Amino acid sequence: MNKSFKSALFNQNNDFYEAMKGDSDSEKEARFNVYRNNVFVSLIDSLADIFPVTQTIVGEDFFRAMAREFIQLNPPISPIISDYGDNFTDFIRHFEPAKSVSFLGDLAALEFSLLTLTNAQENKTLEREDVVAAFNNISDPANLYLTLSPTTQILVAPFAIGSIYLAHKNSKSCSLTDIRIEESELLLLSKSHLFAEVHIVSRADAVFIKHLMQGKAFGEAIPDDNDFDPGSSLAKLIDWRLLTKISEAGA
Amino acid sequence: MSSQSIQSQGASAPSSFIIKTGISLKPSYYHEVLDTRPNLGFFEVHAENYLSQGGPARHYLQKIRELYACTIHGVGLSIGGEMPLNKQHLHRVTQLVNDIQPEFFSEHLAWSTHGNTFLNDLLPVAYNKVSLNRVCDHIDQLQTALKRRILIENPSTYFEYKHCDRSETDFIREMVHRTGCGLLLDVNNVEVSCFNHQTDPYVYINEFPSNAVGQIHLAGHTIDNNPIVPLKIDSHDEPVSPGVWDLYRHTLATIGDRPTLIERDGNLPALTELLAEALHADTIRAAVKQGNEDE
Repeated sequence: MNKSFKSALFNQNNDFYEAMKGDSDSEKEARFNVYRNNVFVSLIDSLADIFPVTQTIVGEDFFRAMAREFIQLNPPISPIISDYGDNFTDFIRHFEPAKSVSFLGDLAALEFSLLTLTNAQENKTLEREDVVAAFNNISDPANLYLTLSPTTQILVAPFAIGSIYLAHKNSKSCSLTDIRIEESELLLLSKSHLFAEVHIVSRADAVFIKHLMQGKAFGEAIPDDNDFDPGSSLAKLIDWRLLTKISEAGA
Repeated sequence: MSSQSIQSQGASAPSSFIIKTGISLKPSYYHEVLDTRPNLGFFEVHAENYLSQGGPARHYLQKIRELYACTIHGVGLSIGGEMPLNKQHLHRVTQLVNDIQPEFFSEHLAWSTHGNTFLNDLLPVAYNKVSLNRVCDHIDQLQTALKRRILIENPSTYFEYKHCDRSETDFIREMVHRTGCGLLLDVNNVEVSCFNHQTDPYVYINEFPSNAVGQIHLAGHTIDNNPIVPLKIDSHDEPVSPGVWDLYRHTLATIGDRPTLIERDGNLPALTELLAEALHADTIRAAVKQGNEDE
């Protein structure tokens, strides 16, 4: 019975109407349409909540039509709707009407990564004074090992999606005029207190952070780059709450 | 939250739950609730929104639980489904209930999962022996896992199955008898379903197994004015309607006072509007109690 109900929801297959009371097929359809509408509208709303910037870029009508096609092919498998949409990104990449917005799939992937990070377990990170003390208590800071929160990620984005995301987040409307969208960006994704954050980082900072993630000591992690300023990079690690431990031995 | 902090709430929390009306807790209210600490009976959350390992939802729920009684309302266990319960989901819900220690955990007489698909809606159950056996098995399983009596909510429905051999209230009565579960009487669902099936909501209330009712839900609905058959839709995005307030008054006069929730899920108003609706429910509860004492 549930199987034929589900088929009526997704395939407009009306065999299920046989199981319903009602004077006519049109009455049964009007009644069943409440469920069709509830299921699709609630799932489209959920995707709009998960991908707000993606929706702003293409507009609400386009987004909702795209989401409806996605839901038809990929209904959720988990009762936890905040997990829904992990393959929406791939769907968007192959969605013909969205092809002209070359960065849309990458932007959606960034939004989903940030949501996943937000829902991930919090890690206790070091305060500024802890870091200062660790650096003051050692004769050669080059030998310190800086452990980063496991939620830290460096992302090489082929488009300026970090700029688009931040422009939307900071102004709630997204002007693309000042953003050179075809330029790639290095993005740092991390969790600060309860929410995931994205930061656009320089190549030198990205290399430095990658080295720390690989377990290199502070001295070895410093990139061979004249633009690199260890003091300001360290300050960013503290401000962005990335450091979970500083020790003299490797992690 | 430590079990100790829950226990320290034990003396005061249940009484506020019983005496004063509660409201749905939504993320947009977290800060205002913590800053202003409104005088309310309790907050209710949907289990499925609080199952992540971290993030704001769980953090704020724990903060608010330290100050208020809570109820947890499941919307995804698919009690009425033909499939076995999702064990992983049941495990996560159990962990949440153990952590939060709500006054009640409630779920729906409905299904939402079939095969590998979660349909994100509360879908109707046929009222016959086969589905009664299945529903009772699922309730037994859930009560065993949670180690507590749960409440099951009467549904809002938009059609009736041909293959029913008993009424909704008879089905629910038998379900209570067999599983020992309690009931969450959603007065708006009664209004919605009875309108949609052209039956009398007052008769429904009179036939409802009232002894098992542990909590009441009040919510708003909208009208689907399609030209073929006008339907009321259980949308939770409007204030409680005058008709539902009247039916609530009748319900309390008939079954006695019960912990009550103003349920709101969409088109969220300012917190003060929900508080005003909760206060209105408190006024009705006091008047009905007074009236019953006077008789």
